Amino acid sequence: MMEQRKVYLREDEMPRQWYNILADIAMNPPLGPDGNPVSPDQLAPVFPMNLIEQEVSSERWIDIPEPVMAVLKIWRPAPLVRARNLEKALGTPARIYFKNESLSPAGSHKPNTAVAQAYYNKEFGIERLTTETGAGQWGSALSFACAQFGLECKIYMVRISFDQKPYRKSMMATWGGKCIPSPSPFTKAGRDVLERDPNTPGSLGIAISEAIEEAVSDPTGKTRYSLGSVLNHVMLHQTIIGLEAKKQMEKINEYPDIIIGCAGGGSNFAGLAFPFVLDKINGKQIEIYPVEPAGCPTLTKAPFVYDHGDTAKYTPLLPMHSLGHTFMPPPIHSGGLRYHGMAPTVSQLVNEGILTPKSVKQKEVFEAGILLARTEGIIPAPETNHALAAVIDEARKAKEEGKEKVILFNWSGHGLLDLTAYENYLAGNIKDIELSDDEIAEAAKIFADHPKPQSLKSR
Amino acid sequence: MSKQKIDSLKRQCPRLGSPIPFNYCVMSGEDDGICWKILDCWWETFDVEEYLKANMPEDAFRQLMATADKPKNKIASILEIVEKAKKAKGEEPR
Repeated sequence: MMEQRKVYLREDEMPRQWYNILADIAMNPPLGPDGNPVSPDQLAPVFPMNLIEQEVSSERWIDIPEPVMAVLKIWRPAPLVRARNLEKALGTPARIYFKNESLSPAGSHKPNTAVAQAYYNKEFGIERLTTETGAGQWGSALSFACAQFGLECKIYMVRISFDQKPYRKSMMATWGGKCIPSPSPFTKAGRDVLERDPNTPGSLGIAISEAIEEAVSDPTGKTRYSLGSVLNHVMLHQTIIGLEAKKQMEKINEYPDIIIGCAGGGSNFAGLAFPFVLDKINGKQIEIYPVEPAGCPTLTKAPFVYDHGDTAKYTPLLPMHSLGHTFMPPPIHSGGLRYHGMAPTVSQLVNEGILTPKSVKQKEVFEAGILLARTEGIIPAPETNHALAAVIDEARKAKEEGKEKVILFNWSGHGLLDLTAYENYLAGNIKDIELSDDEIAEAAKIFADHPKPQSLKSR
Repeated sequence: MSKQKIDSLKRQCPRLGSPIPFNYCVMSGEDDGICWKILDCWWETFDVEEYLKANMPEDAFRQLMATADKPKNKIASILEIVEKAKKAKGEEPR
C-alpha cells in the first residue's frame, strides 16, 4: 500500500474564524514609555482602529472576513506533511508532521497576517502602508498583500540587507512595493543618521523610526504603519496555521504529543501552537516547545540580582545578572528560552508553565537545516532551522525511549533567498574560536573610536 | 587574532536574517551603540563577554549586562518613536 505523505483540506474546510488567546489567559495591559497602560487613542496614529480593536479584544473567536479568505486561498489551505524521509534517516519510531508555510507567494508564514492587515487598513480608508524589514521576508509579504487590496506599500529595508539581498527588493518591486535603503533622505530620522555617517549600514531601529515617522507625518492621515510580529493581532491572524493543522490531524486520527516552533518574534510559533494551547488549558496532555537560539550563559544562568548600574553607585538599583564568574558554556538545551523581544502572549504562557522553552546552538541549527533539505527536499529558512534542530532532538529521544511520539512542527518558510547563510555554514565559517588574553588585548582598538560614557554627578 | 580578523567574523543575525560581520554588532544598536543581542549572538563563537569586558569602559559594560536581555516592550518603543516623529514634524520649517 502506498504511504500517504500529505494531508489536504478542501477550501470549504478552511477555518472561518481566528482563535484569540487573550480570551483564555490573563495578561497585564501593555505599558507605554511613561509606565502607564496604553490607550487605543495612543496607537491611532500608527494603526487603524479596527486593528487596534483586535489588539485588545478578548473575544475567543473572530470571524475571518470573506475578502481575506479569498486572498488566503491563493495558497491555503497549506498541506500537512508527514516527514517520512526524516523519520527513516533518524530511524525513529516518532511520527513527524509539519505544516508547510513555505508555499505562500512570499515563501513564509508572514502573508497570513500581511493579508489581514492590508484588508483592515483598506476597510478603514487607509491608502498607504509603511513598514521596515530586515531580511526582507516581511517586506515581501506586505508588498504582496498590498497589491491584493490596491494599497501603496513603502518598505524601509536596513541598508546592509538591501545591499546583500537584491532579489528580495526585486520581489517587493514586482508586487508594487517601494523598497528604500534605510537610512534614507526621506525622513528626519534618516537624514540625521546620514549626516553623521553617510556610509552607515543602517539598523533595524533606524528603519522602524523611518517607517513610523512617514506614517505619522502624512498630512492626509491616509498612511499607517504595519508590523509583522510580536503584537496580539499578528498572533491572532497566524492561528489559521494551527487551526488547519488540527483539522488535518483529525482527518488521519492523529493528535500531537509535542508541538514545536521557532520563536523569534513569536508569530509562527504562536500560529501553530495557540490553538493547541487551548486544548492544553482544557486538559489535553501535550508538550509545547518554543525554540530559540541558546543565549549567553552569563545572562541565562547567572543569578539575577539587584545591583547599581554604575561603579560609582549613582544610579538606582537595577535588576541584572551578576558578573565575574567563570565563563562556562552550558550543555545543549539548558539555556532556557530568552523570551525578550517576543510576543507578550508567548512570554506569559512560558511564565505560566504552559509552554516549555527549548534552546539550540548555532551549529546544530544549520546541521538540522542541511539534514531536512537532504531528506524532505525543501531548503528551510534559517530561522526555521531552530525548530528543526529541536524536532531532531525529540525524534532521537523517542528512539532512545522506544516511544511512538507524534511530533508536529511549523516549517515557517523556505530559504531560497537566504543562501548566503548556508554558504557560510558550508564554507566552515560558523565555528567556535577561542581568544587568548594577548589576542583580546591586541583587538582593543575596536572600541578606540567609540564615545566613552561619563559617570555624571549632578551635585 | 587581529582586530581585522575579529571584525570580519560572521554569523547569522537573528534580527536581520542574514550573515553580518562582528563589527556591525558593535555599532548597530540604539544611538549607534552596541546591539543588545551581542552577547547572546557571539558567545558560541568566541568569549565575547570577556572581550567586551576587557575593551569597554567598565560602566558601559555593566550597563550592557544590565540591559542585554531586556529590550523595551514593542508598544512602548513604537509610542516613543511616534512622539519623536511628532516632535520632528513640529520642528520642521513651514
